[in-house]
Parts: sequence; C-alpha cells; structure tokens
Amino acid sequence: MSKSKMSNWGLGLAAAAVALTLSNSAFAFDTSADKSAPKVAGIGMNITDAAIKPWNISYFYDGTNLPDGSGTVSAGEKIYSAQCAMCHGDFGEGAHGYPKMVGDPVDQFEASAKAGVDAVSNRGLNNNWGNAPTLMDMIHRHMPFYAPGTLTADEAYSVTCYVMNLASIPGVGDDFVCDKTSLPKIKMPAEPLYVTNSGPDTDNTRCMKDCYKGTEFVVEKAAAIGDVSVGKVQKKDTQ
Amino acid sequence: MSENMINPVPEGANKAGVASSDRRKFLRKSVALAAGGAAIAATTSANAADGLNTWTTPLKNEPTRHMLGRGVVSVPYGLPSKYEAGVVRRNVGWLTADTIASISFTPWQDLHGIITPNGLHFERYHAGAVDVDPEKHRLVVHGMVKQPMIFTVDDLKRMPSHTAIHFLECPANGAMEWRGVQMDSLQFTHGMMSCSEWTGVKLTTLMEMVGVDPKATWFYGEGTDGSALQRSIPMEGAHDQHGKPIPALYTSHYRDAMVCYAMNGEALRPENGYPIRLFVPGFEANVSTKYLRRLMFVDKPLVTYQETKHYIEVLPNGMIRQYNLVNEANSVITSPCPDFKMNGKGTYEIRGIAWSGYGKIKHVDVSIDGGKNWTEANLVEPVLSKCLTKFTLPFQWDGSEHLIMSRATDETGYVQPTLKQLREVRGFNSIYHKNSIQVWKIEKTGEVKNVQIENV
Ligand code: HEC
Repeated sequence: MSKSKMSNWGLGLAAAAVALTLSNSAFAFDTSADKSAPKVAGIGMNITDAAIKPWNISYFYDGTNLPDGSGTVSAGEKIYSAQCAMCHGDFGEGAHGYPKMVGDPVDQFEASAKAGVDAVSNRGLNNNWGNAPTLMDMIHRHMPFYAPGTLTADEAYSVTCYVMNLASIPGVGDDFVCDKTSLPKIKMPAEPLYVTNSGPDTDNTRCMKDCYKGTEFVVEKAAAIGDVSVGKVQKKDTQ
Repeated sequence: MSENMINPVPEGANKAGVASSDRRKFLRKSVALAAGGAAIAATTSANAADGLNTWTTPLKNEPTRHMLGRGVVSVPYGLPSKYEAGVVRRNVGWLTADTIASISFTPWQDLHGIITPNGLHFERYHAGAVDVDPEKHRLVVHGMVKQPMIFTVDDLKRMPSHTAIHFLECPANGAMEWRGVQMDSLQFTHGMMSCSEWTGVKLTTLMEMVGVDPKATWFYGEGTDGSALQRSIPMEGAHDQHGKPIPALYTSHYRDAMVCYAMNGEALRPENGYPIRLFVPGFEANVSTKYLRRLMFVDKPLVTYQETKHYIEVLPNGMIRQYNLVNEANSVITSPCPDFKMNGKGTYEIRGIAWSGYGKIKHVDVSIDGGKNWTEANLVEPVLSKCLTKFTLPFQWDGSEHLIMSRATDETGYVQPTLKQLREVRGFNSIYHKNSIQVWKIEKTGEVKNVQIENV
C-alpha cells in the first residue's frame, strides 16, 4: 500500500485501475499443468543432513538418536538443586504446583485407578513414564523451564540420571551412569501399563421417546478438586 | 446494561423483540417440540403474546443521533464495541502453576456462529507464546525422504494453497468435569475449542516435493518455541512401540493435514503459532504443533513426553491408554447456558454447536426433560466435515424447571455418550476426551446451572 497521501479520490482510483491492468497482462498462467495434482517446482532449497543436525534433537523411546556424552547421579544432584528444585521440590515432590518427579509407587497408582479414586494427582516418573530416553529428550529440549534447551548433553544426562534415582527407578543406583547405551535398557515401572487405543469405546443409541423410566439423579457441584468460586463469569469481569 | 439505555424498558416488555409473524412460527414449531417432550405441553399458552405490556412513553433519541462519530482508520485494526469488553478469553488460576504452561478458554457463551474470532481463540502453551520472525523462520522436511528440503514462509505461500474450515479442540476440553460438576460456566466446560478457516499448504504437497519413502509410517512436527513440542502422527501401516498396528481409524487423518499460515483469512496470531503451524483436522489439538520448524518422516513413534505423561488416559483397569487421537462426536447447548440468566418466560431459541473428528454431523437431538424424550434440532448450514455445526430449536420457557441437553450423531453413526456411559468405560481418572452429553438445569428463578445426571 502506498504511504503517500491521496489528494483526490478520483486520481487514486484511476491509479489503482492502471495498476490492475498492468498486473493482469504481466502474468502468464500455465494452463497446461494438471490442476488436480500440481507439481511444485522451483520452490525451496535442498538441505544436507549435516546442516539439519543441530535441529535433529528428537530421542526416540528406544534410544534412537540419543546424543554422545554421559552423566552421573552425583553431577545431576548439583544441577537439580541449582536449576530444578525450586519448581520440582527438593525431593521431587513438586513445588508451587509444578509437576512432581516422584509419584505414588506404581502398584498404588494402579490400585487407585482400579478403585476409582484419584490416581492422577500423584503421578510421577515412577508411575507415568514409559521409557527413560523420553525423559532425556524432554529434559534436554524443554527444561529448565525458564531457559529451555540450555543444558549440555552431559548435563542433561546427569540430571536425567538424578531424577530417576530420586524416583527410585529400578537399576538407577547412586553410581549409575546415563548415556545412549544405558538409558534404553532401563525398565521404567509403568512401561507394562501402556496400551494403544483401539477405537470408539461407547455405544449410545439414538433413542427419541421414553428413553428411561423413573427419576434421574441430578448432581450439582459434587466433587470440586479446585476452587469452585471461579464459578460464573461476570459480564463486567474483564481480567 | 440498563444504565446505558435512555429509553426505560417497561416491566414485562418483550426484550427479545421477535416480530409477531416470527413469533407465530416459533410457537407452531414449539408445539412440535412439546409433543416430543410431554413436560412442557401443558404450560405453554398460545395466547402468551396477549400478556405483553404496552409502551406509552414518547421515544427519545439516543445521544449518538446528534453527534459525529469517529473517522476512518481512527482504529486501524478494528476492535469490538466497548460494550463487549466482557467477551474475552479467561483462564482458571488453580489449574496450572503459572500462565506460561497453561490454557485459556474461548467464551462460547457470547458467540453466535461457528467461527471463533481470532482474538478469542483459546490458548494452550507449554512454554508460552513467542514472536517468531517470519523472515528468519525456516521449515525443514526430512527423515525417510528422497531429498530433505528447507523452506521459507514465503516459499510456503507460493505453493498451491488449501483452505478449509475445521474445529480445533484440546483433548482436555471438559477435563475438570470427570469427577463431578465443577465449572458453572460454558466458557470453562467447553472453551478449549475453536473453529476457524485455515489456509496453508497440504502436507501431501510437501510429501511429494521431498519424496517420502513409502516405508515411512509416522511423522512428527516440532515447534521452535521453548517446549519444542513434538507429537507422533500415524500414517498407513503405522505400528505402536509394542509392534501392534495402530487402528486404520487413525491412519488417514494426516492426508487432510496442512502447514498453515493463515486463520480466518489473516496471518496466524502469535498465540496460535505464527508464522506457521501444523494442523491435523479431527485430531486432538496437541498434535497440531505451533511455531512449526521441522517435519520428520519415520517408521516408528517417538513416544514423546506429551504421549507418555500428558495426553494419555488412565483407565479403570489401571492401564494407561495412548494414541486416542480423534475428538469423537460432541455437542453442547450454548444458549441457554450457565453464563446467563433466563430473561422471563416466553420464546427462546435453544442454540448450540456440534462436532466430530470423524466427519460431518448427521443429527443433533435436544431434550428438555433430562433425556427422557428428544427432538431433532435444525442443523444450520454449512454442515462440514470435522467442523462445528450450529444447531437450533425453538423453545417456549414456561417458567418451570428443565434439564436441557443436546446429543450429536456423526456420519459414522457414532452417538455422543452420556456421562454414565463414558464413566463406565473410562472411570474417573481419564482426564482427556470427555465428550459426554452436557446437561444444563434451568431453575424456576431463571438461573441456569451446570449439572450432571449420574444414573442414566
Ligand atoms: C520455573 C519452574 C521450573 C523449573 C526451574 C524446572 N521445571 Fe521442569 N517443569 C516445569 C513445568 C511447568 C513443567 C510442565 C511442562 C509442560 O507442561 O509441558 C515441567 C515438567 C518437567 C518434567 C516432566 C514432569 C511430568 O511428569 O510432567 C521433568 C522431568 C522436568 N520438568 C525436569 C526438570 C529438570 C531436570 C529441571 C532442571 C534442569 C527442571 N525441570 C526445571 C517447570 C520447571
């Protein structure tokens, strides 16, 4: 859009019309191309794997693509106290509402789920994490929260090692060394619990008349986990 | 509201202002509804219009009648009326530790169509909204491909474009309601959802350009924000990490996926992934990575943090279910709703929205008697695949108590479940994908409440 001030409507419109005519004749459209499957050519650049490498930071559940380097529980403890404990708690119990590292033991988690009581508030690395390489991936890309992606591979391995030790992950003793060969071998306690969804699991029918007899049991404000005072939105509330 | 009006509204005046011929039409239709729902038949009077009071005060002009208004471009990017200041996104403080890894909700109680205005689109961040420079931003497509490629945002805009209207729903929509009634507001029960016209490049266009190996069965996108969020998306032949096939139900959605640069005709907002995001219609919103910088084609899932800890369901048998990717058929009545009180007896229109991640909405049925009897609602065009569909049904409120609810059926024949049915298979710890029938209770006082029916 032109920034110059238009002194006169007529002039401005005339100029726009000229521009339109010019642009119509300036472009040639390729009408021979198959419109249903346009072949795209001449757009973008090829790139080498070496150039992509700094961005190729996904570590698969089975350890594929884990970086070189290693870390220890004791080195991780120092990093954790300095950069993580303020949010995740000195003992991994969570602080200020941030996630716990240590949840209910996995059998207790399972029992709570089966009993229909709250199983999800006390989740942690020991009951809701399938694979150790995923933990390394998460920490290396996303933590510490205030400075994501700033840990070196050795630091990320160390603090991964430490939080697993904190959560009593079997095999991760005080002398455990985390690297790309040791992490995939760790058996996370929750690993056997994961199942893949098989599709819709409810089968309601489209009943239209007299769908049930008797009275419905209506519940109002039954089981508040949080503060229900949020309640109704006030029209004047513009937070 | 009333202090802004110069002309007093006489007590009992019909504030809805429905013209009398429309009114007769509404009344005729509502007889049909009454026939289906015995509960309101007796109390609806065909002569209700006769009970209206009469306005006698001579009308006065409003102040705007005698003044000049603002000139053009006094607001270069238009904003809603100052009287609409209450129509905003809201968050729930206790849900998350801070507002950086958090969620806000779209005020569906104030919206009238299927399109979410861009400024009211719900927000979900894992590391906050960032301002990515479109000149410097790049998208890399690599992995099991013939030729890895890198694109600028302008490159993407030059390619053949694709535009479609689709809903986008966080799988946590309704999550606070699994254990019991908690949020007495439509904004908070259903506000983690939007519907927009999306424009971008089809994923299949990019796949052709790089020559994706037919042996690739998964791909994932990754963002350039602090969370560098990544989600595995299955394609034909995908197997999970245990070697079991991913159901075919989930392996074709990617064909509609696109890399978007525009929503509702303008550039994406920073909150929604500017300058580009992945968008997979019908799938839970978390897979539609914002600030997209990388697409990688692979032959196994990553099993990311999001897929291990966040977007999983804890089932009543103690198992943890992964890859529940589609938002199944769902619906909600947006008016009446708990955010507003009924404004006297008489004519209303029950309005709502329905959607399904499997395709088009086929029917929406409405009950005003707690689900004993149902009447099919009118579907408002357009009725599109994986898109919100608006529904309406005339309603005469007789001033008595009603349990109102809507039930969607999609083109696959799937019928939206009751909360009881959903809890039977998913228990109370499932958190995500709560698509059960929402019940509102209209009280005699005109208050509307969020309630749950436990036994049917
Ligand atoms: C400022 C607060 C803060 C700090 C400091 C912090 N984190 Fe986090 N952490 C978070 C938040 C917020 C999340 C959830 C992120 C999300 O929702 O994507 C999280 C999630 C995690 C998780 C996943 C837990 C789960 O079960 O959801 C791990 C593991 C973790 N952090 C490790 C670390 C480590 C290791 C450090 C130190 C290097 C660290 N964090 C520092 C805030 C913090």
